Amino acid sequence: MPADIENTQTVQTWLAGLEDQSGVSREEGLQRLAVLTVFCTLVEKKPDQIIDECLREVNGGKRIRAKGRRLYAAKISEFEQQVEGGAGEKRQKGNYIRSFLIHNGVLLQTSPLL
Amino acid sequence: MEFKEVVGRRRSIRYFLPWRPVERDKVQTILEAARLASRAGNADFARAIVVQRDDLAQADLESLTLPVNAGMIQMAPIHIYWWGDLQAFAHDMPPRAKEQVDIGVLNISHGWTHKFINEVAYPQVVQAFSSDDVLCAKVTGCESGIAISQALLAAVDEGLGTMLCTYPEEPARQVFGVPDHWTALWVQFVGYPAESWEAGGQRPRPPLGELFHEGHYGKPFRGTEEAAARLRAEKMIQDPAPLPWRKEEVRAVSRMLGLPEE
Repeated sequence: MPADIENTQTVQTWLAGLEDQSGVSREEGLQRLAVLTVFCTLVEKKPDQIIDECLREVNGGKRIRAKGRRLYAAKISEFEQQVEGGAGEKRQKGNYIRSFLIHNGVLLQTSPLL
Repeated sequence: MEFKEVVGRRRSIRYFLPWRPVERDKVQTILEAARLASRAGNADFARAIVVQRDDLAQADLESLTLPVNAGMIQMAPIHIYWWGDLQAFAHDMPPRAKEQVDIGVLNISHGWTHKFINEVAYPQVVQAFSSDDVLCAKVTGCESGIAISQALLAAVDEGLGTMLCTYPEEPARQVFGVPDHWTALWVQFVGYPAESWEAGGQRPRPPLGELFHEGHYGKPFRGTEEAAARLRAEKMIQDPAPLPWRKEEVRAVSRMLGLPEE
């Protein structure tokens, strides 16, 4: 796992959120981080850049950039199709990326898998 | 189900069984409950467009989707798009009020006559409300909300899951072709719940005395323990969230539906 990714602020926020809100251990979190790393390679962005493109500062608070969120929602769907695994595993890997965005304040919902 | 239990069981359900349709007579029951709700001047404030999710064109479904409704809009088989008619009070009140005089609802004992409606109630009250945008929005929102609340409770009584959420007004106008004087309120999602009806327990609310006052602002309304115990026995007051198994339930339901679990 590249340390420069693990140590980024947004990844630390995500890993802490996973642990606090869902009881995901640090070790399990690092497994999810491996999937995020693959996604980052695919989109050629670092985690902090992804979040920066989805949020903007307004009056000292964060607002969502609709364009950025739409872009990454679509990129995650593409990633789901390309990544290895059966349908459930593909969705799970896509959801790891959605979880990264959600824990960093980018509200994102997806369709159920039917 | 008894009324108090219906009130006690109502939750905002956020996970629906996407594949299980809702019987048409249950949708009719929900709409009847709204139609029969209390409303000022017996005017038609609350309006709705009922939609079967699967009848919506994909492009229309996408145009009605917002980040905050995206999960439910895909899961819930029935959407009820609630609107408020901003012209309802001005348009409906005079004939409806006169009708109520004629059928013995509004009576001389309370000062109601056709003359009073024509010369006082309509020009001095209804027109004043209708020509003030803020007042008009306030009355329309409140009166429609009463109807929507009954629709929610009716859905619960029919064994369904339901919740209110926001929807984008302009795209909805395009999709449904509603009149300009309708204003967008909420979309009510309806379906069979994929989560348990408890949905994690009754939501935390401040105690009565913090919300409601008696006689004067600042003097809290005081309930009694006996009354609260009776409401617990009658299932209006239920176990509060979080129920101990809630996180496991959310994970399991999310996994089943392919939604983010953590």
